[in-house]
Amino acid sequence: MNSLVSILLLLLPTVVLGMVPRAAPIFAAALGEDVDQSAGTLNLGVEGMMLLGTIIGFVIDFETGDFVLAFIVAGLASALLALFHGIATISFKADQVTSGTAIWFIGWGLSGFIYSSLFGKASSPPVVKTIPTLYIPHLTDIPYIGKFLFGQDPVVYALLITFLAVQYFLFHTKAGLNLRTVGEDPLVAEIMGVNPDLYRYLALIFGGFMAGVGGAYITLSLVGSFYFDMTAGMGFIAVALVYFGKWNPVRVLIGSLVFGAVYVLYLALETYFPATPYQFFSMFPYIATMILIILVGAKAHAPAALALPYIKEG
Amino acid sequence: MNIGKPIQIIFFIILALLISSFLLLIDHVSPIAGIAELISSGFLTHYGLMATLNDTIPLLIVAVAIIIPFVAKFWNIGGQGQYIFGSIFATWIGLELAGSLPVALLITVAIIFAFIGGALWAIPPTLMKIYFGTNEIITTLMMNFIAVYFLDYMTIGPMEGALAKITHVPSSAPIPTPDLLPHIGGVSTGIFLALAIAIIIFLLLRYTNFGYELKLIGSSVDAAKYSGASLRRDLLLSMVLSGGIAGIAGMIQVFGITTVLLPQVFSDITTSFGYVGIPVALVASLNPLITIISAFFFSGILNGAYAMEISFGIPIDLVITIYGLMMFFAVIGVMINLGKIFRRPRAK
Repeated sequence: MNSLVSILLLLLPTVVLGMVPRAAPIFAAALGEDVDQSAGTLNLGVEGMMLLGTIIGFVIDFETGDFVLAFIVAGLASALLALFHGIATISFKADQVTSGTAIWFIGWGLSGFIYSSLFGKASSPPVVKTIPTLYIPHLTDIPYIGKFLFGQDPVVYALLITFLAVQYFLFHTKAGLNLRTVGEDPLVAEIMGVNPDLYRYLALIFGGFMAGVGGAYITLSLVGSFYFDMTAGMGFIAVALVYFGKWNPVRVLIGSLVFGAVYVLYLALETYFPATPYQFFSMFPYIATMILIILVGAKAHAPAALALPYIKEG
Repeated sequence: MNIGKPIQIIFFIILALLISSFLLLIDHVSPIAGIAELISSGFLTHYGLMATLNDTIPLLIVAVAIIIPFVAKFWNIGGQGQYIFGSIFATWIGLELAGSLPVALLITVAIIFAFIGGALWAIPPTLMKIYFGTNEIITTLMMNFIAVYFLDYMTIGPMEGALAKITHVPSSAPIPTPDLLPHIGGVSTGIFLALAIAIIIFLLLRYTNFGYELKLIGSSVDAAKYSGASLRRDLLLSMVLSGGIAGIAGMIQVFGITTVLLPQVFSDITTSFGYVGIPVALVASLNPLITIISAFFFSGILNGAYAMEISFGIPIDLVITIYGLMMFFAVIGVMINLGKIFRRPRAK
């Protein structure tokens, strides 16, 4: 037990440094899902949207070498999937779980299909250069905190700004209040002169865009190449984090960072305990997700109209 | 049974196929040639039909399994994990007892063990829902990933077969008894079990109090409570049945098709029947009898897609997108209600 504690202490710097990029893709998707759900739409297609983002981001970066463009196109592609989810669930009032599952399958299949169509079954998978991390002389060199604060990649900072903007928007603007009202009671929102469907569509499209960005981050920043089904449930973990975060982006951010830490930790522990089958370490993130949502449990107050279609009376 | 529904399903299948056929243009393949190949190889050739029927078996069983909690709007996305655990339990008992029991008894014991394995894997998320109110979509899905790693561990570790040690492809030893589930005309006799399960679950949902209560829970939890239904008991029972039956699909796959426990079969996108069962069930609007039709069509599309991959180099992953599109159109279709368009309006 003592040795475990000392190993954990030894790993602390690795975990703190590594958790941010590991948290980033989940956080991007979870932030989008948070906005979706605040407006009352459950988007279970996040996994599919992230998967589409992984391949679209990869292809655009591979062809153009422009990672900014790659992230934008990946986001737009996934936003398109989100639009389909909106057409089904908002305009046709279709079941949100079924439509979300459909979107998951569509994105899942497309990611593998597009990759194999363009690159075939190449023996050595094509790679792209992962996006560079920031380096500010002196600041990045500060011991301990320099790399953590000033040595991340630009997307992490962009996500941070998006997070602040979303937090401000949701809780400090009229439009944010309208959006949350749509999630609580679309009828009341309509009486207030707000168009519930419009808010839900826009929230979904934002959520889809963020899921695509999260997916692209996995290929373009974490890995540098594409693997089949490479999100491995991250989209669903993102949904879980929204529950953990109780629809508050600050808590979602904390949850994502915990997750990033879990990922880094299990990868590091694997090498420290070679005698333990690696599969048990690989189960970590999934077990952690289950524990996390038990901790929140039923006490969480969901938007009252979550996953309910808004059908006008009369 | 409403005859409009099967027609509607076939309509959605065709619509999804038509739309996905345009994706073939990415691979510079004519959509018409591709679809023709898919249909002829999946449904019309002898070999294709045989393969289609064999894949219908696990697909039908898993789909029927997940229908049970789905009726109560308890979204068991964990069919894949339950399917995997059924196969682990069945293979384990098969390897332990093969040779010492007559084949018929061995199969019975294996079915029971598969049921137990699948049910065990379905219970934790259900208890979490009952006692902590956790979202079952997330918990059941997480259980799938844990199951995949556990299967990986078993076939590299305790259950590793002699061949796997040489080839380094994880797998168990083969179950030594031949003709576990004999084939008739190339089709595994598991198909009778699959059909029986579909019919039994249809009857269970339609004619028992349990089935009625599940539907009530699905339409309104409050109404179910007022009517005196025990939500906890119903939910737990539905998930034990669901997991157990999904587990049986795993047993049939190992005993009837692969004869070894092969993780690859459970991780390949196309043979992840635990996942594919979801669209099969949803497209059939959660009716176990209609699921027989949809499982057959889904399986045919899968085998047709294999042929497209061989003939034209179309990546097999396309089939998952086709499934997704079918679900997508089906869920919108339920809202449109095509039946109303085709049927004469009835006076009230």
